[in-house]
Amino acid sequence: MPQHIKRLIGAFAVVIILFLLLQTILRPTSFGKIGHYRADAIQENKMKELHYAGSDKCTKCHEEMKTDKEVGFHATLQCEACHGPGLKHAMYADKFKDGKLPDSLMLHKPGSRKECVICHQLNAARVKIVFDTINNSMIKQIDPMKHNLVDKRNFAKLVCIECHNPHQP
Amino acid sequence: MNLNKPNFSRRDFFKAGSIIVGGITVATALTPFDGLLFATEPPKGKGKWYGIGIDINKCIGCGNCAKACKLENNVPKDPFYFRSWVEQYTIKNDGSVLVESPNGGIDGFKQSVPDEEIFKSFFVPKMCNHCAKSPCVQVCPVGATFETPEGIVLVDENYCIGCRYCVQACPYGCRFINPEKGTAEKCTLCIHRLDKGQQPACFEMCPTEARIFGDLNDPGSKINYFLKNHTCMVIKPNLNTGSKLFYNALSPEVR
Repeated sequence: MPQHIKRLIGAFAVVIILFLLLQTILRPTSFGKIGHYRADAIQENKMKELHYAGSDKCTKCHEEMKTDKEVGFHATLQCEACHGPGLKHAMYADKFKDGKLPDSLMLHKPGSRKECVICHQLNAARVKIVFDTINNSMIKQIDPMKHNLVDKRNFAKLVCIECHNPHQP
Repeated sequence: MNLNKPNFSRRDFFKAGSIIVGGITVATALTPFDGLLFATEPPKGKGKWYGIGIDINKCIGCGNCAKACKLENNVPKDPFYFRSWVEQYTIKNDGSVLVESPNGGIDGFKQSVPDEEIFKSFFVPKMCNHCAKSPCVQVCPVGATFETPEGIVLVDENYCIGCRYCVQACPYGCRFINPEKGTAEKCTLCIHRLDKGQQPACFEMCPTEARIFGDLNDPGSKINYFLKNHTCMVIKPNLNTGSKLFYNALSPEVR
């Protein structure tokens, strides 16, 4: 074999060995276990913090709300959809069983025109066969500027939950 | 080499033959590396293979899914970072299409077109399609985005270099760069909730059960029931992304 070919083979071998060495050092240990990615990343994604508790946790303490809500139009509406994420509220509920929870852990109580109207505003996109699984009826819609409006200046003061029970509308 | 010449010699025959046979052998030997060509493996029928169903007929555009997603996953509050959002499509009598999504639908929708001019109008909730042949996975230069064996497309935050290739590659616009971390972010199908036996936040909070989610490999799952009973379609089927987000009553105007 000619001299220059031998040298070339040697040079290639050095580069390949260096590459493999660097790869073993730099590559994360779990990379390539399942596919072309770090297998540990799945676990890291699973470790993230939860915020929503789920209605089962809510009804553990607030049983009366469950029985209230079950028969109404809002049966399929989850508690946390209106009240906001409540996992912390549920987690600390046991610790403050006798007294009341501190204000920072209390959940939001909606009921103003702004909030109810998010779902119930009259909208052509909403007028269609939207069946409630229990009552088989269309969603009720209002025009907030016309519905029960005595005085336009009092708009902000008019609160939906004064007439409608949000848990059993 | 000209095979048509009259005196096709034995040497020529062996040359042509060895090229064909050799080519086939090399191609066969490379099949284990198909993964490099298609980025992901097709489902094998073992374990879970998650799919999503959305019933447009049932969506009332309350934006609870978008709100829940933001709060559950600490998505930046600005109105242009969304992992899940709702769009209001309004098709006018003249055929023009108007798409609106003020703050992703979190604060509710208002119809800007007077009723007389509307031909039809509907809401389309959007989120990551968790494609089986994801374009975003294929373009990632470092292997920071991938598809889990359950069919969930995830981002490895610690490995992402923030090159934005995937943001451009996603045909559904489901990715963004987190302004604080500088890395790509997207729907994780709330894998942290699935791990604890909970439903993803957007499915949990949907008041009309317009969102269905389940294991496509399980014949008795909710999603399979949904697919059997509805005429479902994915968005942009022509792109062959292997989307696993199936819409019922999807209009061709939706893109």
